[in-house]
Amino acid sequence: MIELAATSEIDTRKVLRLGAIAGITAVFVAAIGMVEVFDTRSVIDPVLSLGYLSLAWIPLLFGYRVTYEPVLEGMEPPRKGPHNLIGGAAAGLVGGAVLGAFLLVIDVIDIREILLNVTPELVGILGFDQSAAVGATILMALGAGLGAIGGMFHVLSDRWRRAVSSAFVWVLIIGFIELVLGNVFDGLAVGFLDDLVYSENRGVTIGAAVVIAVVVIFMHFQFTGRASRVRERFQALPENKRRSTGFMVATALMAVGLLAPSVFGPFLNEVLATVGLFMLMGLGLNVVVGFAGLLDLGYVAFFAVGAYTTAVFTSPLTPGDFSPELAFFSALPFVIIMAAIAGIIVGTPVIRMRGDYLAIVTLAFGEIARLVFQADWLKGTFGGAQGILRIGEGMIVTLFGYVLAGVGIVVGIIGFLRWRSARADDDASSAKTAGVWIGLGTVATVAGLLFPDFASWTVTGIDSEAVFRLVLIFVALAAFVSWRLQDSRIGRAWMAMREDEQVAETMGINVVTAKLLAFIIGAILAALGGALFAVKIGTIFPSSFKIVQSIIILVVVIVGGMGSLRGVAVGALVLIGVLGGPTQPGMLREFQEFKLLIYGVLLVYMMLQRPEGLAPSARRSQELHGDELKQDVWLGKDQEGED
Amino acid sequence: MTDRVPVLEFRGVNTHYGPVHILKDVDIEIFAGEIVCLLGGNASGKTTTLKAVLGMVTPTTGDVLLDGEVVSEAPTSYRVEHGVSMVPENRRLFKRMTVLENLEIGAYLRRDTENLADDLEQIFELFPRVKERLSQKAGTLSGGEQQMVAVGRALMAKPKVLLMDEPSMGLAPVLVSQNFEIIEQINEAGTTVFVVEQNANMALSIADRGYVLQTGQIVLADTAENLLADPQMRQAYLGEMD
Repeated sequence: MIELAATSEIDTRKVLRLGAIAGITAVFVAAIGMVEVFDTRSVIDPVLSLGYLSLAWIPLLFGYRVTYEPVLEGMEPPRKGPHNLIGGAAAGLVGGAVLGAFLLVIDVIDIREILLNVTPELVGILGFDQSAAVGATILMALGAGLGAIGGMFHVLSDRWRRAVSSAFVWVLIIGFIELVLGNVFDGLAVGFLDDLVYSENRGVTIGAAVVIAVVVIFMHFQFTGRASRVRERFQALPENKRRSTGFMVATALMAVGLLAPSVFGPFLNEVLATVGLFMLMGLGLNVVVGFAGLLDLGYVAFFAVGAYTTAVFTSPLTPGDFSPELAFFSALPFVIIMAAIAGIIVGTPVIRMRGDYLAIVTLAFGEIARLVFQADWLKGTFGGAQGILRIGEGMIVTLFGYVLAGVGIVVGIIGFLRWRSARADDDASSAKTAGVWIGLGTVATVAGLLFPDFASWTVTGIDSEAVFRLVLIFVALAAFVSWRLQDSRIGRAWMAMREDEQVAETMGINVVTAKLLAFIIGAILAALGGALFAVKIGTIFPSSFKIVQSIIILVVVIVGGMGSLRGVAVGALVLIGVLGGPTQPGMLREFQEFKLLIYGVLLVYMMLQRPEGLAPSARRSQELHGDELKQDVWLGKDQEGED
Repeated sequence: MTDRVPVLEFRGVNTHYGPVHILKDVDIEIFAGEIVCLLGGNASGKTTTLKAVLGMVTPTTGDVLLDGEVVSEAPTSYRVEHGVSMVPENRRLFKRMTVLENLEIGAYLRRDTENLADDLEQIFELFPRVKERLSQKAGTLSGGEQQMVAVGRALMAKPKVLLMDEPSMGLAPVLVSQNFEIIEQINEAGTTVFVVEQNANMALSIADRGYVLQTGQIVLADTAENLLADPQMRQAYLGEMD
């Protein structure tokens, strides 16, 4: 290690190492064609395209990392100063040099034979349309500059650092969601804003970028701490008040969610419907993996069962003679029954398996399901590789009455269960409340069945607005069920089983039932997702149910935070909403080709840095970080209920 | 003994693991209020005996009786509900659940949920330290505290017989004797205890009676005093002490 007086704080080896990693990352991003594909998309017009952005984050990040030192308890806080900037710039310079060298090489030697994406256009982009030597120099200069900016984040005070980074992030987000925001502006009848914010090339104008940044920074200083204060006040409320407030917030969110699609525009609705589908399946898989600790890699099987059941029961074009042509909601009971059967079929043979073995066997089940639906043998029922067309006859007729009756039955059952436990506890007042629940449930059921056509609501599969609403209702139901399961008796049994199956068994927990129940509930939620998926696109093929589906749902759960309901929501929004599902586009349609790469990178990063997920349950995050010292702080939150 | 009905009884129990004969005509009787220990070396069939009590192993012939009722074919949950619960070897708490949650899982099958609060209080009386740790993750407790929670968890099932699998295993000597004090304590509070142990000295010092298991057969069955004095016993298990 060389130590110069001026740079005594800078670890030269670290600079070289991180600089080299930055350079290699940049070369990788360029060589896989990301830069070129993304270059057509402008983020801040005309200075920054998505292509350059896919490189620019690298020196920023590594410039920050290179002089990063953790704050250690009982030690002096890390010193801030020019060394942060110099270190960042140096690392950026090294990175820029590596990329510059790459540019010089590909300018001279044509390596397209090996790396298909190293095109002359890429040379042009990397070299800023100058000669390679000039281009390389510019890359180094930019690298150093961005690295220094990255390092600068250390020098800023905490508040400014957050403010500036959120300004950065917001400008980029608004640049990204040009299409979506344009639709929303139109929906709200403020289309002129679109022209103000965005240039003709679909990027934010420089002026708008500056305004956004200033506004975000201003808002940041105005509102920092507000959110946490609101949360504190919420936590300070007594238990019953907190509950009712929670319900009110949830209802309000639901109402907004149901109204919002009218202003969202077709594209955003489409994306959000996909997000909802994956959220639904994520919630189901979360029961199996997160609650019960059973790693199921063949989850797509249940999704397929739901989709095919819906198809066979609703399509007029079923391959066989069996073609009841039911409406979507009438087919749902069959979907649920078939899913439960599928859950038992998959669950029973794997009851005594654990960990790796379970994962492998379920993986195989996922493939088997696809092959069964594809088989010529069952072509008469499932249509083989040709699949089934015209599902739900393109229409989902939602009869409000039936929905009402369904909700009524659920409310009634909950009321009855509460009444039973209240009776056991001799608690007259809660027995009374339970009685009200039963009453309401009965009234709703009867009314719903008497007037099934009341406020009937017709949804066509291509009407993305209506589909999104429908999906949202299902997600809300699934979230409610999961939330209740979490603290239920069976929830506890799952938790104990996940911890130590043998001991759980000696405590009298019937692990066979508990596991089957987890499989069945997970299967039903996935099958509902499949049913919605089938009517949404109206056509299903066996190839829609590949293994990658299972993997992506699992990634959603893991990235969000296993066992956490909020985590599933966050995971689905981030992964599916931004990047898109396996075949469906997300908000960043440019990412289509690189989606799996980014999933993979994200998964590795999460496993290393944040194994508890983006929005973990309090329990998991504590487990994984072994924060035993913070025990008491955490426990306060723990008892308020997780999520 | 007299014509009292044993709370736990083995009548000529034989078990097999595959074709291998594990327990051979085992007879055990445990009466209410006793501490009985089952001694034996490695692979003598101690663990299988416990599994047979809990229903994780079904006897090929012979019967297991709980309070005079034949339960040989009954599932584990039935037996737990009807009066056996176990403190497993090495405690095996649900480490990432809180102490309270661990205790609650112990009462998983209880129907009389209204009495749970009282039973918790009793456990706190036995182990005041457990009460202080209620909302802490079980894995963060010290070894001794974990043992208390493990016993508490088993007691929450209101067992007629408490099974203890190797309570001295993997613990520091101080904790071992502390552990046996706990056993005496809960026995005085009225629970019948069946201890399965390798540490014969320790077990016999608190037990009323003992059985010695050797390659699946009961080779000795007597009061603890007699066993301690038995020359064969001294040679095989106790070593020459004094």
